[in-house]
Amino acid sequence: MRLSCLHRRLQFGRLFSTVTGSHGDRRWPGWEVVVGLEVHAQIKSRSKLFSSKLWTSDPSEPPNTSVSAYDAAFPGTLPRLNPKSVDLVLRTAIALHSEIQRRSAFDRKHYFYADLPAGYQITQHYAPIATGGHLDLAAGRSVRIKQIQIEQDTGKSTYDARRRVSLIDLNRAGTGLMEIVSEPDMRSPEEAGTYLRTLQALLRSVGSSDGNMEQGSLRCDVNVSVNKPGEPLGTRCEIKNLNSVKFMQVAIACEVFRQIELLEKGEAVQQETRGFDEAAARTFSLRSKEDAPDYRYMPDPNLPPLLLEQAYIDRIRSTMPELPDATRARLICQGLTSRDADVLMSVDAGREVGFDGQLGEGAVALTHDLLGQLTARNLTFKENPISTGQLGDLIDLVQKGLLTGTSGKTLLRYMLDHRTQEMPSQLARDMSLLALPADADNGTSELEGWCREAMDALPSETAAARQGNRNVVNKLVGRVMKISRGRANALKAKEVIESMLRA
Amino acid sequence: MKLARSLHTRAAKTNALVYTPPTPPPARPGPLSGTRVAVKDNICTRDMPTTCSSEMLRDFTSPFDATVVSLLRAAGAQIVGKANCDEFGMGSLNVHSIHGPVLNPWVPRDEHEHAPRSAGGSSGGSAAAVAAGLCDVALGTDTGGSVRLPAAYCGVVGLKPSYGLLSRWGVVSYSDSLDCVGVLARSVADVHKVFATLNHHDPRDPTSLPPSIRQRARSAPARGRDPSDLRGLTIGIPQEYFPAELPALPLRPLLRALRARGAALVPVSLPSTRFALSAYYVIASAEAGSSLGRFDGVRYGKHVPPPPGADRAKASQVYAHSRTKGFGREVRKRVLLGTYALSADAFDNYFLQAQRVRRLIKADFDRVFLKPNPLRGSPSRSDEREEEGKVDVLLHPSAMRTAPPLPAPSPATHLDAYVQDTLTTPASLAGLPALSVPAGLADGWPVGVSVVGQWGDEEGVLGVGRVVEAVVGM
Repeated sequence: MRLSCLHRRLQFGRLFSTVTGSHGDRRWPGWEVVVGLEVHAQIKSRSKLFSSKLWTSDPSEPPNTSVSAYDAAFPGTLPRLNPKSVDLVLRTAIALHSEIQRRSAFDRKHYFYADLPAGYQITQHYAPIATGGHLDLAAGRSVRIKQIQIEQDTGKSTYDARRRVSLIDLNRAGTGLMEIVSEPDMRSPEEAGTYLRTLQALLRSVGSSDGNMEQGSLRCDVNVSVNKPGEPLGTRCEIKNLNSVKFMQVAIACEVFRQIELLEKGEAVQQETRGFDEAAARTFSLRSKEDAPDYRYMPDPNLPPLLLEQAYIDRIRSTMPELPDATRARLICQGLTSRDADVLMSVDAGREVGFDGQLGEGAVALTHDLLGQLTARNLTFKENPISTGQLGDLIDLVQKGLLTGTSGKTLLRYMLDHRTQEMPSQLARDMSLLALPADADNGTSELEGWCREAMDALPSETAAARQGNRNVVNKLVGRVMKISRGRANALKAKEVIESMLRA
Repeated sequence: MKLARSLHTRAAKTNALVYTPPTPPPARPGPLSGTRVAVKDNICTRDMPTTCSSEMLRDFTSPFDATVVSLLRAAGAQIVGKANCDEFGMGSLNVHSIHGPVLNPWVPRDEHEHAPRSAGGSSGGSAAAVAAGLCDVALGTDTGGSVRLPAAYCGVVGLKPSYGLLSRWGVVSYSDSLDCVGVLARSVADVHKVFATLNHHDPRDPTSLPPSIRQRARSAPARGRDPSDLRGLTIGIPQEYFPAELPALPLRPLLRALRARGAALVPVSLPSTRFALSAYYVIASAEAGSSLGRFDGVRYGKHVPPPPGADRAKASQVYAHSRTKGFGREVRKRVLLGTYALSADAFDNYFLQAQRVRRLIKADFDRVFLKPNPLRGSPSRSDEREEEGKVDVLLHPSAMRTAPPLPAPSPATHLDAYVQDTLTTPASLAGLPALSVPAGLADGWPVGVSVVGQWGDEEGVLGVGRVVEAVVGM
């Protein structure tokens, strides 16, 4: 199974494909793939779902330090619904065009597990808070939403193999989750990835979830089946606990190959729950349908039905923040290219970094660089040590031509490394990074000095350039930039070199 | 001194209190100053153990006080100790307890009748402590009769209030949709006083009703009752509560006396009553199986490590050892029954069917009471014709018999213990206030009569209770 998956990966060059739609997929010709997603997103409320205990999303917090008596299921404790969580779920439902149910209810799902202190999870099995809806993807595709339900997160259990003990951390226990269930409307791993990213951006833009897969605030289970075109849908398998978009896509592709291989051998796909082994790039059986636990769902006798007044729903609707599609359209209307709009929108996890409408050369490019540098340092935009004042100053320097784009990047890197409070204009002076005014005499002479130095350092290139090889000129300019530590204006340097070559 | 020693002996004999603090906590001044209160051992206290009479919680002390305990302390009451009970409130005779059975402190005049008898359950320790004078008032819990039954057997007053009035925060769940904190005392007035102290909305209990609904229930003012003039009071006698098996109880003189003072006695029918006991055991067991899932021996409570070589593949296999040792026979029985009732194959026939029966029982009660149910939307004023045959309160015996002798017969072969709940479970399923008041003796042992009213009509129920108390005392 594993070998065949890798074999096909080699055969087709890659597991990722840009082929979508109904034209078939080069990876599995003659087969159609059907994917549905169940996404669990942690509700971004300061309080847990049913306890007043403060909740922090910081996974670095010491274990079992953010746990109330209720979270630990102490006898005599009772749940109390945190209304802020409901607000955030409603925002999500509205953003997904779902139909909000004026009456929903909470149920208990029973099973014994070390990270489930009460022996049951409170969820909305029989009457979810919202049903229906859709999420529009790019390229005219749309995925229907089946339902959205509110439920409790569990604690975390880790097995210490050396000491042969299970370790339980209840910090997460009782945190509110939204389970967003899609219809099986996706037709490829990539489309599932697009759905997940689009959903992520939407959750962040309405502020209902951090949607961070790495930190576990967004997790997903996928349902996968394959069928021949024109035939009914195949038997689906569920793959549990996928924690990155990339791995989800790989898991789907591997599962598709596994199912096709079974069917082509004349065997049947068994409906079952599977896990995904990232290292081996294969899915494996967790339990068959026959082994599916009986969760003994029961209406929670402590929690009355959740009744929502229409006025309350209307108030949430009227205070909705702008959704990603609308933000993007507005930014493009204001004159940004679609690429620049994407950069701004990806800054704070989908929440736009206010664009003041002033188009400026290089501003977005610098923001883009900043994002790149932050990513390289494993920092989120929120942890960004550079203040808006500093960034504004830096952008001004570049826009006024006082700093070249290259020097701008250097300075940016310096500021991230040293976490300095100094303004970039001061730093540029201190570090002699300021570009030379192109029209100043002394500037020109300094530039000429660098050009001469460059030509002296590269005699053969200079000779070739003299004979009309224009490509070599760029190499000379590059040397000038190096000598000047980026302070030279590349265009000016080129002009100077060309005139010196003609001389 | 002599008196104190005899009290001590009696206390030891009844086995009513399972914990008394070495130095009683200081009580602050307040309306309940000087009132000594015993608290059932399934209600959390931060300065005393809360064992629920279970091996599982033998060494457990809660990190917090139940809201009802906080309210008592704030009002100046003195918590004198924790009262014995059936394990997690499951039982009718208070024999399912790691602390041993509670003995009924009643001393009959006829010495021949001195064989030990049960105090009833599950709040047997609370009733016996009040009856023996170990405290003035006791808190109990009533899920299907657990306050009213022991009150009747021990000859004291016991109130199960309307569901949703007294906070359950800090009350260890047996069956969340049925559990009520109840009050036991030697007089209706004392019960009333403590009930009033505890009757407040608690935001920590999601089933605690908000002030608006409490206000709606109070809006129809209770008539102050002069025990000698009961004109205008209609008392319903539900025929289903006088089954053929019921032995002769001294209720006729009471009814005659009530009528002589002007009360109208009308026979009423509550036809769904006969299904109540089965519905009660399905719902209560299902909820118990769910609520008691938390006792796994990991975070608190008894932990029994699996023996060497035992299968540890699943958490449930590991927990099973603690749960098997930690829970007593009766609790295990109900947890298993409840687990079955919720399983996919049985859910419709048992749990959903029981919920339907529960709705029928509520409808039965709403049909006979004059007062509209404040929980069922806006009350429309019923006209004269509709009021015909309707009643202010219902009156019926609290139990099928007087206190049963101990040791109790094995429940495996004897359903008698469950049948005792027949008369008390309907009010529990409907969430109605029910008060058991002593109503004389049969064979030298106390008999209780129950007054049941519309939801939220505690004032009406307690008012009639005072009348019964006065009439019986004459």
